[in-house]
Amino acid sequence: MNQEHETQKVSRRFFLNACTALAGGVTLGVLGCQRHEQQALNVTTPGPYPLADAENVIQTTCLQCNTQCTLKVKLQDGLVVKIDGNPYSPIALYPHLPYETPPKEAVAVDGAICPKGQCGVQTLYDPYRLRKVLKRAGPRGSNKWQAISFEQATHEITEGGQLFAGIGENRVAPGFKDVIRLRDAKQAKDLAVDVEAIRKGEMTVEAFKEKNSAFLDALIDPDHPDFGPKNNQFVLQGGRIAPDREAITKRFTFGTLGSVNWFGHTTICEQAHHVAFMYSLAQWEQKDGKFSWAKGPNHMKPDYTRAEFVIFWGTGFNEANFGPTPMSPRVSQAIVDGKLKIAVIDPRLSKSAAKGWWIPVHPSGNFALALAMTQWIIGNKRYDEKFLRSTNKAAANAAGEKSWTNATWLVNTKTGKFLRAADAGVGTANQFVALVEGTPVAVDPSDTKVPVVGDLDVSTTIEGIDVSSSFRLLKEAAAAKSLAEYSEIAGLELAQIEALANEFTSHGKKAAIDFYRGPIKTTCGFYTAQAIIILNFLIGNVDHVGGFMKGGGAWDGMGGKPGQPFPVAKLHPNALTPFGIKLTRESSGPYETSTIFKRDGYPAKRPWFPFTDDVYQEIIPAATAGYPYPIKILWLHYGTPVLSSPAGHLQIKMIQDTEKIPLFIATDIVIGETSMYADYIFPDLSYLERWSNPLGTSPVVLSQISKFRQPAASPICEIVTIDGEDMPISIEATMIALAKKLGMSGFGKDAFGPGQNLNRPEDFHLKMIANLAAGDKPGNEAPEADDAEMDILRKSRRHLPKAVFDERKWQDAVGPNWRRVAYLLNRGGRFEAASGAYEGDFAKHPWANQLNIYIEPVGSGIHSVQGKRFSGVPTYQALESFDGKPVSSRDEFDLELITYKDIYGGQSRTVGNFAGQMAIMPENFVYLNAIDAKRLGLSDGDTVRVESASFNGSFELGPGQAPSKVEGKIRIIEGLRPGVVSVSYHYGHWAYGSRDVEIDGQRIPGEPARGKGLLTNAAIAVDGYLKDVCLTDPIAGDSAFTGTRVKLVKIASASGPPAPIAGWVPAGWAVR
Amino acid sequence: MSKPIEQRRWGMVIDTRKCVGCHSCNVGCIMENKLPPGVVYRPVIDLEVGSYPNVNRKFLPRPCMQCDNPPCVPVCPVKATWKRTDGVVVIDYNVCIGCRYCITACPYQARTFDFGQNWSNNAASGRDGGLALETGRKYEQEPSFEYGATWRRGDGVIPKSPVGNARKCTFCVHRLEHSQLPMCVTTCIGRATVFGDLNEPGTLVSQQVIRNNAVSLKAELGTAPKVVYLI
Amino acid sequence: MAFSSLGTTHRAGRERLLWALWVLAAIIGGLGFYERLAHGDKAADFSSYVPWGLWVAAYIYFSGLSAGAFLVAAATYVFRIRVLEPISRLSLLIAAVTLPMGLLMIGVDLGHLERAYLVFVRPQFHSMMAWMVWLYTAYLILLFTMLWVSLKSVQPGRNPGAVTNDLATLRVLGLIGIPLVIGFAGGVGALFATVAAREYWHSPLFPIFFLVGALTSGTAFLTAVVSWLWPSRDAAWKELVILLGRIVLALVLIEFILEWAEFSIPSWYQIGSTYDLIRYVLFGPYWYVFWLVHLLAGVLVPVLLLAKTRSPGIIGLSAALVAVTFFAVRLNLVIPGLITPELRGLEQAYSDPIGNRLTFAYMPSWFEWQLLLGVIAFGVALWFVGTRLFPHVFPRPSQSSEVGQ
Ligand SMILES: Nc1nc2c(c(=O)[nH]1)N[C@H]1C(S)=C(S)[C@@H](COP(=O)(O)OP(=O)(O)OC[C@H]3O[C@@H](n4cnc5c(=O)[nH]c(N)nc54)[C@H](O)[C@@H]3O)O[C@H]1N2
Ligand SMILES: Nc1nc2c(c(=O)[nH]1)N[C@H]1C(S)=C(S)[C@@H](COP(=O)(O)OP(=O)(O)OC[C@H]3O[C@@H](n4cnc5c(=O)[nH]c(N)nc54)[C@H](O)[C@@H]3O)O[C@H]1N2
Ligand code: SF4
Ligand code: SF4
Ligand code: SF4
Ligand code: SF4
Ligand code: SF4
Ligand SMILES: [Mo]
Repeated sequence: MNQEHETQKVSRRFFLNACTALAGGVTLGVLGCQRHEQQALNVTTPGPYPLADAENVIQTTCLQCNTQCTLKVKLQDGLVVKIDGNPYSPIALYPHLPYETPPKEAVAVDGAICPKGQCGVQTLYDPYRLRKVLKRAGPRGSNKWQAISFEQATHEITEGGQLFAGIGENRVAPGFKDVIRLRDAKQAKDLAVDVEAIRKGEMTVEAFKEKNSAFLDALIDPDHPDFGPKNNQFVLQGGRIAPDREAITKRFTFGTLGSVNWFGHTTICEQAHHVAFMYSLAQWEQKDGKFSWAKGPNHMKPDYTRAEFVIFWGTGFNEANFGPTPMSPRVSQAIVDGKLKIAVIDPRLSKSAAKGWWIPVHPSGNFALALAMTQWIIGNKRYDEKFLRSTNKAAANAAGEKSWTNATWLVNTKTGKFLRAADAGVGTANQFVALVEGTPVAVDPSDTKVPVVGDLDVSTTIEGIDVSSSFRLLKEAAAAKSLAEYSEIAGLELAQIEALANEFTSHGKKAAIDFYRGPIKTTCGFYTAQAIIILNFLIGNVDHVGGFMKGGGAWDGMGGKPGQPFPVAKLHPNALTPFGIKLTRESSGPYETSTIFKRDGYPAKRPWFPFTDDVYQEIIPAATAGYPYPIKILWLHYGTPVLSSPAGHLQIKMIQDTEKIPLFIATDIVIGETSMYADYIFPDLSYLERWSNPLGTSPVVLSQISKFRQPAASPICEIVTIDGEDMPISIEATMIALAKKLGMSGFGKDAFGPGQNLNRPEDFHLKMIANLAAGDKPGNEAPEADDAEMDILRKSRRHLPKAVFDERKWQDAVGPNWRRVAYLLNRGGRFEAASGAYEGDFAKHPWANQLNIYIEPVGSGIHSVQGKRFSGVPTYQALESFDGKPVSSRDEFDLELITYKDIYGGQSRTVGNFAGQMAIMPENFVYLNAIDAKRLGLSDGDTVRVESASFNGSFELGPGQAPSKVEGKIRIIEGLRPGVVSVSYHYGHWAYGSRDVEIDGQRIPGEPARGKGLLTNAAIAVDGYLKDVCLTDPIAGDSAFTGTRVKLVKIASASGPPAPIAGWVPAGWAVR
Repeated sequence: MSKPIEQRRWGMVIDTRKCVGCHSCNVGCIMENKLPPGVVYRPVIDLEVGSYPNVNRKFLPRPCMQCDNPPCVPVCPVKATWKRTDGVVVIDYNVCIGCRYCITACPYQARTFDFGQNWSNNAASGRDGGLALETGRKYEQEPSFEYGATWRRGDGVIPKSPVGNARKCTFCVHRLEHSQLPMCVTTCIGRATVFGDLNEPGTLVSQQVIRNNAVSLKAELGTAPKVVYLI
Repeated sequence: MAFSSLGTTHRAGRERLLWALWVLAAIIGGLGFYERLAHGDKAADFSSYVPWGLWVAAYIYFSGLSAGAFLVAAATYVFRIRVLEPISRLSLLIAAVTLPMGLLMIGVDLGHLERAYLVFVRPQFHSMMAWMVWLYTAYLILLFTMLWVSLKSVQPGRNPGAVTNDLATLRVLGLIGIPLVIGFAGGVGALFATVAAREYWHSPLFPIFFLVGALTSGTAFLTAVVSWLWPSRDAAWKELVILLGRIVLALVLIEFILEWAEFSIPSWYQIGSTYDLIRYVLFGPYWYVFWLVHLLAGVLVPVLLLAKTRSPGIIGLSAALVAVTFFAVRLNLVIPGLITPELRGLEQAYSDPIGNRLTFAYMPSWFEWQLLLGVIAFGVALWFVGTRLFPHVFPRPSQSSEVGQ
């Protein structure tokens, strides 16, 4: 008895520190390793536990949701069995381990991750994962497939032809070789320049045709050269493509194939938030001798740990957002410490709202609430006047600030443009004007020498031009309705709104508003987002400790910084210059400069989106409408627009149309809700088996951080040989094979330049990691891995096949940088010490730049359908269609529909996570307040069908498939605003393993449990002008998830009375 | 380093004010211990209290309370379960006959029965073709390391333990032995769970268990839980 | 209707039908046993939250029958109750058949039957379940000894001295047996009642309730068997059946009083969790189990019939009703104790999407009924073998049954 065993591998000091870090001061006490009497289980000698061995650990990055947390993946017998948080990273551990900690020591510490992250093993090892390329063996959507070789598949899609003759389709499908017609880099560049000239009005179409007569057949439509080359008829529609594999797929789409049509999914996500930030933070910048507004970063966040008051507006810290893993510990601790008070504005009592002041706003009342707060704050002079009056950097610095606003700049109220100093006769055309004690003064925003402190609330006439300060315009816009009217629309007591505004302005700079999808998924989403951002600016909280932060930022993976070895964007000899209007008319200049404007005028047939991109819900409808041009090849990657977009079900018919979408290929890890309509599905590697480009993180993390994905699991996908190189099928493999078959640039031999090939995924991705390792400036290099670390690197990858891990090949990809890269690989990224967050009273990585109250590009832009000018400050507006008609619905639709994400659900991607999502909640519910349930005579457990003005409760899926029904069970709760019905995402699947499929003539039964619950996207309102796509914000292109009214039709009663619920509750919790 | 097992007394404090109801401890525990469907050690209860608009939600993660007077122990006809001197109530999977008496006896329903199911039971099975029907389920055959042993579950006339056994939270003794905190502690998103030796005066657990707002579940039963809640 | 009213051919046909039914039951049950051995309890509906179900109810039911029948025999020997003497061996045989049925039932319920011996190797003196196992074992030995001695005593040609000895032995064994059986019959009650976590079970009345229940169901079962299968249909038989009927009536009434106490006390002021459960038993989804199966068919009808009639057939029928529907009482004792979450909200906290093992809803599955059927078939076989092996459980027929009518 009691003999000592020395088994401790980790030094005690280190271990205790780790524990302190882990549980906020808890130490595990002193661990003894004593043998105690005979009973087996009383022995505490360490038993077998391979997961505590650094040789069984690989650090990578999660993608169960877009928070993209840093992971520590644990292996057992070559299989991934456990996933934890990477302790080197501030996302998963707060505060995180010192970067130098050797992996052998770090392995004792597990960081925290959310339940979806924990369950990632079941995404990786989903039995319904695709292994081989599937080719359609029946009509689109019939779910009949044939497994074919990768070689056959890439050959067929390259060449095109009668690819489906075998199943009686005689049409000729286009191949890539037919679509990629413009192949010469010089030609493309010249044409691009001429098209630009047309757009600028410097060249006529006729002149263009004459000059380029030899190349006209490479264009989609010679009469509309601004449509660009036929190459644009290739469309890459990416769902979760950014930032995951943005770099390599853009290289392929833009440089290799010369198409402008690369899309992410942000407009079904939260584009209004991003775009409003990018413009609110846009800077007046000089580039190549010309001044323009350069969009800023797309995100700022409150400094949760130091703030005194934070409003979470239509978002939270614990369910979605950016996201539970890094935010919950920071916010929770601050609340419990009594330092932080939070308010949550949400029609639904979320798990975040449960921790603070719940403000159950009406779903369509967010904008009104924001404007009411603005009006109140201005009316009561609760804004930070000193902060707002600084017009430039010099003034900001003089006032002890880092950033400044354009609140005092004068706007020409006729044109919506800022008055230029030249027009006021006080300066140049690239300077602005503010009144300083009534006198116009030139403003150069980035001037660090001459501070200009402007007059805030002014309106005057200068040189005959009516001008108002930005602030005055904001004040007027906020006064469009009375506080009483706003409070009516917001569905909140005026006193509550005033209390909220009062609280928000009672903490100096230690208050901020965080928001995400909740308030902005509406047709005035951009303005709403802008209004909320401005509320932050009004109190001058930017960059202040406890205020509003831009985050710690990341190292540059693209290699743009001096000293970085691989500027990958530039390392693309013979890259094509993509040009022309994007299929969705996004980021394609104003409608008015296009050749179709000359043809159609106002209203545009379909709206243009000059201020935004990634207008996801519009891709397939636009292709179907052939506006502005028809397409030939659609490649869907990692997305499911049919399921995830509002009214996306309308696109099912569209993608079944082989005329409008002649070739439809998809990369997916399963047969998904949209990829099931594809002609070919290429298997992809899951996030645990592959690379990604370097990733930054949200401003939740205030120190600098870069992370990436690297292969942790041995691949499920078939291993194929491309040009002598073995690799598992993935989107990278598919692009490499296609580029090689087409003989296009950017992939294959000498892809980066002489002697530098891109034959394998790591040839690309490792280069970017080498850039991170090199650092942002000379002297900023990461250390080199020593021999012990190299040994761990190898051993921990011993389960990977040579097709994935071949040290020589990895080393070849980065050359002499290899050991530094290895250091990063062993740590899953680069992480600045936690002390990198603050510097004095400010962020160590501050924004320290321009903040816009008035947004000139938007304020001077024109609505392409209505022909009216937009506003540069948020201007009240109700839900409307593109043609400006208000959206109304009949009285029978008496409930407002909202949607949200649960902490255990990751988009539509986690339905195979049986230990996580499915066990926590086997089906989702139609939540209803008890008051409504009583009014409607519904009881808990009743099954209802969700109907709206545009949707009758079910939709067709395709040949031989039973329709999908939007039906679910009622759950009655108190924590929901009456009049609102809320249904979460993540359920209501009709593919993804939920239904039977046929492969090679064999029926593979689906797992019906995966099809449980409901998804309400089909019920969401359709735009009254376009009629084939959901309501959309004209500025951000953001889709409207809010604003739809539904009715619930009871179709079955709850079965059987529930068991008696007499369970015990802690005292004080049993209020009800 | 040299503290004998008798002098240790593991305890856990769960701060319900910090608990955000994320289920991370719940799923983390499932994955750590490779728990099959139907077996759960730490479910998280989500309760709504009050009525609109004065309503709130409370979260209650429920591991095994590691009772000092564990009613689950004396009922066991074969002494397959007992309380170790360090306070952990353990089950010897090699002895348990699977009568489930202890399951009925636990006032917290902290014990569940391993019926021998697997997560991929209802998914299509067969040889890999276009899909990963076979490779996809391999991870479920990997052994778990509860109590510092290697457990390969298995079905059959004589099931391989822990199939056919009662199971419960082990306080992750297999991790403690490797100087690691229990999984539900390390992965607690709200950092609401602390763990340590109640016999060490300096530890956070020792300080927290005596807080004014510290309560035990069903204290009236006299089970003397070693998991304490701050409310 | 009495068994004996049928004509010979009719009877032969009837017998063939019974045989066929038995074979069917044996096949179905056999398949169930196969499923159980190959795949464990996966097809059962009991779960992690309702860990005991139909089988445990059946087990306490069968063991109750055994105890009840045994007590009749033991009382006969110990207290030299003459009138019951002719059925003492029959009682012992019934006890000896139903006990293995119960044990088989609980055996398949175990996750690791192969380790059951550990109950002896690793004794746990606190565990009521361990005590049950030991008591059963002791009882089983005792029972078989008594059966053997009692059968020996009626062996033709056994000399009277030996018979007296036999009776003395039986008396002593019976004397030992009575407390033993009271111990285990009440002990089953204690097995539940001591579980402090389950308010519904945690009642001091439970052991007594179980004991009386065992007596009631056992005597009723015996009564039914005597009234139907007794070879002679003479006046003595008739008197015997009437007497047994009276005893059953009395027991049912006592049982009912206890039940009234059990139900009314916790419900009186309509608060508390036991009240909720009782309401669930009475008015919940399985209300009919209590009202129709138990109260109507198991108490009301038999009590009325037993109080009125002197017809052995009807007494037999009433007793059979009591005996069979008593199963409902057992179900209503076991299951409701388990269907409530011990902590509010646990029912929704985490579920089992694969096998639905984390639910508080329980409905015996076909597989469970299948095994129960198998156990009954097994019991019938035991009975058949027992009556062939030991024809003396029935006194020699003095006349053929047809003649009696
Ligand atoms: N768990 C989880 N986390 C995720 C993801 C995931 O799939 N699952 N996905 C990631 C991605 S891609 C994104 S974009 C983010 C999204 O992060 P969030 O925007 O925070 O998440 P959502 O759940 O979409 O919406 C937030 C809240 O808005 C509320 N809401 C709905 N309608 C309204 C309204 O009209 N007004 C107001 N004020 N509130 C309303 C909902 O009830 C919900 O609580 O989450 C990321 N994190
Ligand atoms: N009702 C409702 N709808 C919503 C939301 C909501 O909160 N409620 N949220 C919206 C938001 S914020 C977003 S961002 C969108 C997301 O919408 P999308 O980006 O369209 O869809 P995802 O759910 O991310 O899943 C995309 C598909 O990719 C496939 N896939 C999964 N993993 C992989 C992989 O590793 N590789 C490849 N190649 N394919 C993979 C699967 O088929 C999956 O169905 O949904 C939006 N839709
Ligand atoms: S929040 Fe969870 S699912 Fe999302 S990335 Fe982080 S660990 Fe993964
Ligand atoms: S919580 Fe239950 S299982 Fe755990 S020790 Fe206490 S009684 Fe036993
Ligand atoms: S199930 Fe196992 S541990 Fe529980 S009482 Fe029975 S034998 Fe003991
Ligand atoms: S201590 Fe370990 S076994 Fe217990 S609930 Fe936590 S993770 Fe699960
Ligand atoms: S992980 Fe922590 S915060 Fe999340 S439910 Fe469990 S105890 Fe609560
Ligand atoms: Mo999103």
